[in-house]
Amino acid sequence: MAEHNPDVALSCRGITKSFGSSPVLKSISLDLELGTVTALSGENGAGKSTLMKIISGQVRPDSGEITVRGHQLPFGNPRAAHKLGVAIVPQELASIQDMAVYENIFVGREIRKKSGLLDRRAMIAEAHTLLQSFDVDIAPQTLMRKLPVGLKQIVEIVKNSSTGARVLLLDEPTSAISDREVAGLYKVVRHLRDQGVAMVYTTHKMEEIQAIADRVVVLRDGNLVMDQPLASISDDDIVTAMIGRELETLFPPTPTRPADPGEPLLQLDDVLVDGAGGPVSLAVGRGEIVGLAGLVGAGRTELLEAVFGTRKIHSGHLHVNGKQMKKHHPVAAIQAGIALIPEDRKHSGAVLSMSILDNGSLPRLSNYTVAGWLNRGKQNAEVSAAMKSVNLKSRGLSQPVETLSGGNQQKVVLARWLTDKVDVLLLDEPTRGVDVGARSEIYRIIVDLAASGMAVLMASSDMQEILGLSHRAIVMREGQIVGTLDRDSLTKETAQEEIFKYASGLGSTPAPLSHTEGVA
Amino acid sequence: MTTTISKLLPKRTPDSNGTKRSRIFNKHWVAGQLFRHSMLVVMLFVIVFFLWRSARFGTADNMQTILVAAAPFALIALGQTLVILTGGIDLSVGSIIAMSGMTAALVAKANPDQVWLAVIAALIVGLAAGAINGFLVSVLQVPPFIATLGMLTAGSGVAFALGNGAPINGLPTEFGKIANTQVLGLPIPVIIMIIGIVVMAVIMKRTSYGLRVYAVGGNPMAALIAGVKTQRILFSVYAISGILAGLSGVLLASRVISGPPTLGEGYELDAIAAVVIGGASLLGGRGTVWGTALGLLLIQTLNNGLDILTVPAYWQSIIKGILIVAAVTVDVWSAKRRT
Repeated sequence: MAEHNPDVALSCRGITKSFGSSPVLKSISLDLELGTVTALSGENGAGKSTLMKIISGQVRPDSGEITVRGHQLPFGNPRAAHKLGVAIVPQELASIQDMAVYENIFVGREIRKKSGLLDRRAMIAEAHTLLQSFDVDIAPQTLMRKLPVGLKQIVEIVKNSSTGARVLLLDEPTSAISDREVAGLYKVVRHLRDQGVAMVYTTHKMEEIQAIADRVVVLRDGNLVMDQPLASISDDDIVTAMIGRELETLFPPTPTRPADPGEPLLQLDDVLVDGAGGPVSLAVGRGEIVGLAGLVGAGRTELLEAVFGTRKIHSGHLHVNGKQMKKHHPVAAIQAGIALIPEDRKHSGAVLSMSILDNGSLPRLSNYTVAGWLNRGKQNAEVSAAMKSVNLKSRGLSQPVETLSGGNQQKVVLARWLTDKVDVLLLDEPTRGVDVGARSEIYRIIVDLAASGMAVLMASSDMQEILGLSHRAIVMREGQIVGTLDRDSLTKETAQEEIFKYASGLGSTPAPLSHTEGVA
Repeated sequence: MTTTISKLLPKRTPDSNGTKRSRIFNKHWVAGQLFRHSMLVVMLFVIVFFLWRSARFGTADNMQTILVAAAPFALIALGQTLVILTGGIDLSVGSIIAMSGMTAALVAKANPDQVWLAVIAALIVGLAAGAINGFLVSVLQVPPFIATLGMLTAGSGVAFALGNGAPINGLPTEFGKIANTQVLGLPIPVIIMIIGIVVMAVIMKRTSYGLRVYAVGGNPMAALIAGVKTQRILFSVYAISGILAGLSGVLLASRVISGPPTLGEGYELDAIAAVVIGGASLLGGRGTVWGTALGLLLIQTLNNGLDILTVPAYWQSIIKGILIVAAVTVDVWSAKRRT
C-alpha cells in the first residue's frame, strides 16, 4: 500500500472492471486531494460512471484497491463507503419526492426526543442552519416535489456533506438543470471545496471544466489518458484527450450520393419541438446520411421523436417526400414512409417477450391482414426476407427477441421496417449496447440503405460514427442547430474538435458554416 | 427450484459448435416449460388423486357438472385474460355480472314474450360498464386497479338499486330456458364456453388484433412506435371484458331464473386466479387463452373434487389461496430466470 499522504482524501490503485467480455476500466489509478475539484471527463461509454460507482461502493471492481485516508475501502459496500465519508450524488436523484426538504436531509438519522418520537422542530432548525451555511434560501418544510431539479440536487449535496462526507462524487450534475441553476451549484461546490472536501465532478462540457475544476482527469475507452492541473492545459488538449486519434476500419466507405438527388425526402421548416430552445430547419435528401451530433440532452432524440410523431411540435412544417405531414402520430409517420430506430431498445424498440416474427410484422401489420385476419404465410415470407437482408443470426423466426444478443436485437428493430418502402430512416444511437463485431455490420446496413435511396437522419453520441458515416453532420445544442459540417470538413483533421466546440458551446471562434439554415 | 427440475432431466452432453441443436428437446426449453407450467403439472396430479379416491368423480355426469359450473367463470376469465395481457386488471366483472343479471331479469319480467330483449339489454349494460372502465384506463389514465375497483363498488350498488334492494323473482319460464336447455347433449352455457374459448384463442393467435394486444402488454412504448394505437387497444380489452361479463350475467340469472343482486359476487377473484394459474404474467405481455382455460378447469375440478370428498369449504379456500400464491411465485421466479 502506498504511503498515506495527508492531502490525499482517496486513492485508487489499478482499478479494473469488465462487463462480460468487454473491459470498461483498465487499471485506473487516481488520487483525489482534499479541497480540490477534480473534473472527470470523457465521452459517453468511456467508463466515468462505472468508476464513480466503484468508488462509492455500488459496483465491485474485478481488481484493484481503494484507500480512504489510509483505510482500505471494502468493495461493493455502499454503507462502508458512506461510513468512510464517501458520498455520491447520482445523475438520477434519489430524493423522496413527497417528503419535506428537512425530512430528506435527516432520513435515516432522524433527531429524536427522549421519548423516542421525532423532534421535528430540532430537525427543521438544523436543516435551516445547514441550508443557510450554503447560502441556499429554501424553507426546510418545502415539499421536495415542489423544488426545481437544480435545488433538489443542492439539497442532496447539502444532505451528503452534512453526514460528514469528505469525498463527494457528483455524477453529471448539470445534465438536467438550467443555466441559472448551474450558478447555484457552482457556489455550493466552491463552498465545499473551501471546507476541504475532495470533489469529483463528471462532465464532458468544456465550459464547466473551465468554471469549476482544479484538476482534469480524462478517461477514454477505459484508460486514464490525462491527469493534469487545469492551469497547465488548454481546451484543445482536453478535447484531444477525450476523443483520441484512433481511426478505425469499422466503417464502410460512405456511399456516393446520386447525381440528381431531387427534392429532399425529409424537410423541416422552423419546427419548434416541445421542450427545445428554438425552431429547427433542416433537409435530408435521397441517399444522404445526415449525422446529428451533440452532447447528451442536446435535443437530438427529441427532434427525431417529433419527426416520428411521438413528441409534440408547437409550430413549423414537416414535409416527407414533398408532402406535408398533417397528423403527428406514429401511424401517420409510418404511412408516410418514416421509420424510427429508437435510442432505448429495451424500453421502446422491440417487444422483448414476443418472437422475431411478431416483432418483425408489428409495424406493417395491415400488410399481412385481410379483415383483421393474419396471413401467416405472407407474414413469414416477408419478415423472413427482411431478417435475411440484415443477416440476422437466430434459431428461427419463432425465437423470442429477448434471447437474442444486443446486436441481433438491433437488427430485428431495424429490419422490421424493411418489409415495405421506407423513405426516411431515423436512427437514434444505432449501435448503443451493440458489440464491435455487429457494429460494423449495422454500419454496412445503414450505408446500403442510404445507397438504395433512403434519407437517413442519425443521432449519435459516438463521434466516430458521425465522422465515419455522415455526408453531412449537424451539431445540436439546447434543441437547436448550432453548426453544420459538410463532407469535406468532416474528413479534415479538425472536424472532431470543431464538432466538440459547437456541442459544448465553446464556439467562440465561429468557423465559417457551410450551411447556415436553421441557425437561430 | 430451477436446479431441482434440471436435475430430474437427463444429462445432455454440451453442444459443440458443429452439432445442430434440437429445438424441442433443448434441456433449457423443457426445464423452462416445466417450470413455467409447474402449477398445471401439480394440479393434474390432483385430478389423478380425485379419480383414485372417488368413483363418482370420473362419471360423465360429474364431468358435465364441472363444465356447467365452469361456464360463467370461463367467459369472465377470457375477458380477464385480455386485460391482464395488457398489464391491467379488471376487478369489476363480478359487479358487472350482477348489474347485467338484474337488468336481464327486469327486462324479461317486463317483456315475458321477448326473452331475447333481456339478453340484448344485459349485453349492453356489460359493454357500457366495460367501456367506462376502458375510458378511465386508456384516456384518463387511471390505474386499472383503481378504475375497476370503483366500478366493482359502484356496480354492486347499481345492482341493488335495480331490484330496489331485493332480488327480482317471478320471471317467465322462457327466461330460464336460456341456460337450462341442452343442445346436442350439452347445456347451452357449456356450448357458449367452448365457442368462446375457441374464438378467443383464434383471435389471439391469428389476428392482428391479438398480436397488438400482446405488443401493448409486452412493451407499450415499442408498440406505439411500431404504429399500434395503444389507447384504442387498451379501451377495447376492458370493453370486451365487460360484454363477456354481461353474457355471463345472463347465463347465471337464467340458471336460477331470478335476479339476485349478489349474483357473481367475488367471481372476479376466481377469474383472475384462473388467468394467473394458467401462466399469464400480471406484468402483461405473457399468457395464453389455452392457459386460462386450463387454469379455470383445474380450479373448477378442484372445487368439485373437494366437494365430493366433503372437504369443508374453509379448507377449500385455504387450498385455493395457497395455489394462487404458488402460481404467482413461479411466475415471478421464471421472469427472473429470463433476465
